Amino acid sequence: MQLIVNIIVLAAMYALLACGYVLIYRVSRVMNMAHGELSMLGAYLLFATATLFAHHPVSAIAVAVLMSILAGVLVYVMLMRRMTGEMVLAAILTTIAIGILLRGLIVLIWSAAQQHPLQSLGFTNPSLEVFGGARISTCAALIVLMNVLVYGSLFAFLRFGRWGVRMRAAGQNPLLAAQRGINLHAIYALAWALSTLTGSIAGMLIALDSGLDQSMVVIGLKAFAPALVGGLDSLLGALVGALIVASAEVLAIHYVDPLLSDVVPFLVLIAMLTVRPWGLFGTREELDRV
Amino acid sequence: MLKRTLASSGAAVFAVVAAIASAHAEDAYVIGVTGALTGPSSSTNGPPIEGLRLYVDRLNASGGINSKKIQLSILDDQAEPSKAAANAKRLLTQDNVSLLILSSLSSTYAPVVAESKRANVPLMFMGAVCPKEVYPPAEALQFCTTAYAGGYDSRATLAFVKATAKEPVKLGLVAMAIPLSRGEIDYAEQHAKTMAMTTVDKEVIPPPTPDYTPFATKLKDANVTWVFSWAPWVTEVKTFEALRRLGWQDNYIAWSHIEAESELARLKDNKLYVIGANSLFQDRLPVHAEIADAVKKANVRYPAEQMTEGWIGGLVLEAALKKVGWPADAGKMRTALESVSVDTKGLRGGPLQWSKDNHFRTRQYYRVYRWDDAKSAIVQAQDWTPYDVQ
Repeated sequence: MQLIVNIIVLAAMYALLACGYVLIYRVSRVMNMAHGELSMLGAYLLFATATLFAHHPVSAIAVAVLMSILAGVLVYVMLMRRMTGEMVLAAILTTIAIGILLRGLIVLIWSAAQQHPLQSLGFTNPSLEVFGGARISTCAALIVLMNVLVYGSLFAFLRFGRWGVRMRAAGQNPLLAAQRGINLHAIYALAWALSTLTGSIAGMLIALDSGLDQSMVVIGLKAFAPALVGGLDSLLGALVGALIVASAEVLAIHYVDPLLSDVVPFLVLIAMLTVRPWGLFGTREELDRV
Repeated sequence: MLKRTLASSGAAVFAVVAAIASAHAEDAYVIGVTGALTGPSSSTNGPPIEGLRLYVDRLNASGGINSKKIQLSILDDQAEPSKAAANAKRLLTQDNVSLLILSSLSSTYAPVVAESKRANVPLMFMGAVCPKEVYPPAEALQFCTTAYAGGYDSRATLAFVKATAKEPVKLGLVAMAIPLSRGEIDYAEQHAKTMAMTTVDKEVIPPPTPDYTPFATKLKDANVTWVFSWAPWVTEVKTFEALRRLGWQDNYIAWSHIEAESELARLKDNKLYVIGANSLFQDRLPVHAEIADAVKKANVRYPAEQMTEGWIGGLVLEAALKKVGWPADAGKMRTALESVSVDTKGLRGGPLQWSKDNHFRTRQYYRVYRWDDAKSAIVQAQDWTPYDVQ
């Protein structure tokens, strides 16, 4: 039973991070290689607000969330907006540069020492017994619940929301969408804001569960594999991809060799790229554009 | 005309600045430092450099050594071998340092050692794990002040486990998937056999792991009664926390990295032990107060208890420079280091002594700490235990 819980928790972490990659790619065809750094920034913002609002954890969380959204919008307005009309490769290289910049800034501001926002917020992370004697930490359970909330909201927003429909339209045919009066820059800024928000939520919850340090960047990068396995333009794909990659990783640790855990996500990815390069739920023509 | 004037003015200013810098360097001991100030290992390798800088600033403020200031040339290698090599080359060829200090991941050692050998300048490892070349018979140019000691650490830890355990030990071992950590844990596995301890599980965990629970699940399922981890702190503590979240309530002993003291206080767990060669600030020695005071005055970003490794590096540097005299060169520095004997003022269990053949230390001391709920404080679980380094 513990194995199943471990798979669900890891899949939830990957899925929450992966949906950020999907949101931006789906709308603007840009692979955001700074997503790991933006997730880490969200976690550090929570650490900062937790220290600032020492006895008001709710305010600290709310301000950190708002600042994360703002960070996403600023990245688009100040940098990515200028990439409009340029080659996709130029936009991707810009995201790599943003990542390097953020990593440096984070070390300069918060140092490289491991931080514990949970402690700063005055929370504890007790272990909960679920089914069959399996256990899960409170923060890990929150990550799973947050997945339900985030994906549920995103599905509803994209299906029924006015701006959600506009986002889908902009992703499918930006020229036609612009001709119909959709403000593409506002749509792209919204996509960056939502992507940074979901990534930051993942970063914050992982940091609350097991501390915060520079390795979060690599975790963010590992979540790129589930996004590709599921199909870069499919939210459902990100969920399924996360589940596949997490299952392979946890089972490899348990039954084969713990060292494989680092390699398995990418083995699954290579297998998927060989058999179905556009991913499980991705669309073929989207990949041709990549 | 304006362009030419600006260009010549710029050149003149540059020349003056360069001349001032050069004159300053010629009148000071120039020591080169390359280390992981940023990057994934910077939480372990950054604070020792900060501690060294603090110590040197104090020395300079009190007039320097032999009436000469010490100039530290510090470069960031981000724990990347190529950057470390470039740093070493620059420090050795441009800054003409008489001693090179390294505080970074072991993957940077080979290129820096190669540069140090090429320039025939001694290399001191500080706050980075000691390579086997510093043990007897030591390589002529390599020295190490760091607390870690491959082989000895496992022997001391398993001896403590054996002495503390009230029943037969089912041992679990935890390493990070990097060569030195794996090597030490493999050694521990072999050594445990000679001590009649059964190793029931060994987990080698890759560095960027989002969730440690799958590894902890295996340890718990193997019914381990003691876990020994010798890895970077992040792996040691995250595996421990994952085990506790799974409801495992037995004993865990980890190497006492610079983060250990604050982490013991954070976790408040009676059965979490840390073994190390540095004393913790809870011992409240005069030298601890001295370091804390220096940290406070300099407004350092790292806590005082993380400065110990750098402070010890400073003590060794001071002792060596006093012997070197003025002017300094690499040859004199090497000779001075070969006979260094430093009173660590309680930061370690005894003096740090080097000889021509032993550039690690002639005797290594270990102390074990844990959290005590009854006292609501960190306590010693075992006092200094010496091991002769052969």
